[in-house]
Amino acid sequence: MNGVGEAKLLLLGWNFRTAGMSVRERVAFSSEEIPEVLRRMQGEGLVTEGVIVATCNRSEIYGVADRDGANEYLTRRISEWRGLEMAEAEAGSFYREGAEAARHLFRVAAGLDSLALGESEVLGQVRTALRLAREAGATRSVLHRMFESAVAAGKRVRTETEIARHPLSVPSIGFELATKVFGDMAERTILVLGAGETGTLFAEQASGAGVKDIRISNRSRARGDELAARVRGRAVPWEDLSRALPEADVVVGTTASPEPVVTKAGVEMAMHERRGRPMFFLDLAMPRDFEDGISQLYNVYAYGLDDLREVAEENRRRRSREVPKAEAILEEDLAKFLAWFGNLAVIPTLTGLQARLASLRDAELARVPEGERERFRAFADSIAAKLLHEPMRRMKAETDASRKLDRVEAVRHLFDLDA
Amino acid sequence: MSFHLLGWLAVLCYAGAEAAAIVSLVAPKTRLAWITPALIGAGLALHFRDLLLRARALGSVPYRTLGGSVSLFGWMLGIAFLVLLLRHREHAIGPFLIPFIIVTSVGGLLLPDAGSPPAEGTHGALFALHVTLGILAYAAFTFSFVLSILYLIQDRQLRRRQTGLLFSRLPALEVISRMNRTSVTVGLSTLTMSLVIGLARASVIWKTLADPKITFAIVTAMVYGLLLWKQRRGWQGPKVAMLSILGFGLVMFSYTIVNVYLSRAHRFR
Repeated sequence: MNGVGEAKLLLLGWNFRTAGMSVRERVAFSSEEIPEVLRRMQGEGLVTEGVIVATCNRSEIYGVADRDGANEYLTRRISEWRGLEMAEAEAGSFYREGAEAARHLFRVAAGLDSLALGESEVLGQVRTALRLAREAGATRSVLHRMFESAVAAGKRVRTETEIARHPLSVPSIGFELATKVFGDMAERTILVLGAGETGTLFAEQASGAGVKDIRISNRSRARGDELAARVRGRAVPWEDLSRALPEADVVVGTTASPEPVVTKAGVEMAMHERRGRPMFFLDLAMPRDFEDGISQLYNVYAYGLDDLREVAEENRRRRSREVPKAEAILEEDLAKFLAWFGNLAVIPTLTGLQARLASLRDAELARVPEGERERFRAFADSIAAKLLHEPMRRMKAETDASRKLDRVEAVRHLFDLDA
Repeated sequence: MSFHLLGWLAVLCYAGAEAAAIVSLVAPKTRLAWITPALIGAGLALHFRDLLLRARALGSVPYRTLGGSVSLFGWMLGIAFLVLLLRHREHAIGPFLIPFIIVTSVGGLLLPDAGSPPAEGTHGALFALHVTLGILAYAAFTFSFVLSILYLIQDRQLRRRQTGLLFSRLPALEVISRMNRTSVTVGLSTLTMSLVIGLARASVIWKTLADPKITFAIVTAMVYGLLLWKQRRGWQGPKVAMLSILGFGLVMFSYTIVNVYLSRAHRFR
């Protein structure tokens, strides 16, 4: 195996932009499979280091390889392991090398390559990918540094820009709006009507956000009890809904009822019992669960699906406006990583170049009469030194990390240093 | 008129605090959060030294001149701001409250500094306490007014689904409400103490309580008292904010029209 300086960064991936679901399913790696796949990749000499980022939308293999054509070997082996036709695997894949591979990872970690722009979950998934690779003994200095840098850049993007600040999903937007009325939600009472998919999603979000008093009311008692137990909440019998209403600060409608389950008169009574303390209604049901006109009541805030979708669209636009700022941060951090990586590569490249010229010189000197050799050697050395001086100086002095890496690659390719 | 170097340095600190507060509002970074209170604290220390120098020059607490009284008001606003900040740890209010500290402090430096001779009964420690508490009450009511406006803005944004930058930065309605309650509690307590001292002195020295300033101060205290009482009974929302704005209207009327045109005892010349 060659030293790290002669290594190439590579990325072979399948994601929602390049491959259909049928291919993505076949190349998906579970966290149990990843260590084994990494060990096989290393064992077969495909890569010297490897990390696999696996999410529901992407399978991306990052590697450090010391031979050309590593992507083809890798694609072939992956298609064999996963029982895919080579053409099918190739068609849905994408390949990046050097600085572009690193740039892609930085963008993934920052959520710029996600379906929901700026989403935060992917940062944890990138971290998990690094942990799994480390535990499998598949990372050394290069990928370790690259992933740590990408995670740090991803965090920076989220703190220094608005890209992750405006929620995109309907339940998250609803929860954020409620937070803008009540502030800290931990001590508030949330009543979720319905224990279906949307109700579960909201109840879980509220529980995850630290709300201590979550109440579930569902027509079928058993499902209500089940969801209440899952979110450490309390089940409210459907018949007791009107009694439960005044105690709730936030009421979320998610039932499939064809009629409104909460009437304006019911809310008026609840507000009277609450002495006018604010109430927040979130209607996530279709058809609606809350009667028209409740938002006109004093201190009642009510939102329906259409309102939330409007906010989601606006939030999406806001996140998009943050992309240039996020990219500038990524480029700054990427340059630091590439500078480090480029410096690793420059020295071995220069010594390789000198060694290559020395071997050419020695081959030519062998044809020269022995008595003349020292004179010719000095002559050849002088030409080689003069010839190499400027390229070496320029390669060392290059401050643009990405360009430095390109130049190193070019020199290695032109002089065939990886042969 | 003296240059008030320390007073201007204090204004510089307040302006720096405002700039830091705006930066924190637009790009919230917890690392910057301490700069605003630190600069306000430094400004208050310098401002206090300036007030002391004024007091020495006048031979009394500097409320006897228009400049001194407004400057003292600015200093009290600074104190009230720090109390609110430390009590509620809500930095987003800074950009909206600090301008009041700056404007009054600058006003205090530019307005006339020559005082009229003290009227009967307007000297002594008790009188100083009466005036100081009154000014502190006005400072607290000023912030209650600003917080009420912020409440109405945030309420309107929530109802109109306007979820822009201001919406995301302004505190929750409940938080603004709590801060408003703190302001009104401080304001009402100090106004009541100031009133009690003032009434006691007026009845002894002037032998009468018939002064429009006293009447307005009592009405103001009653409005804010009603507000607090209603709040304690669970009354919340825009109506509280409107009542607080009405209370501040009374404060302003009392501080300007009543002081200048109607009251004989509380007039600034």
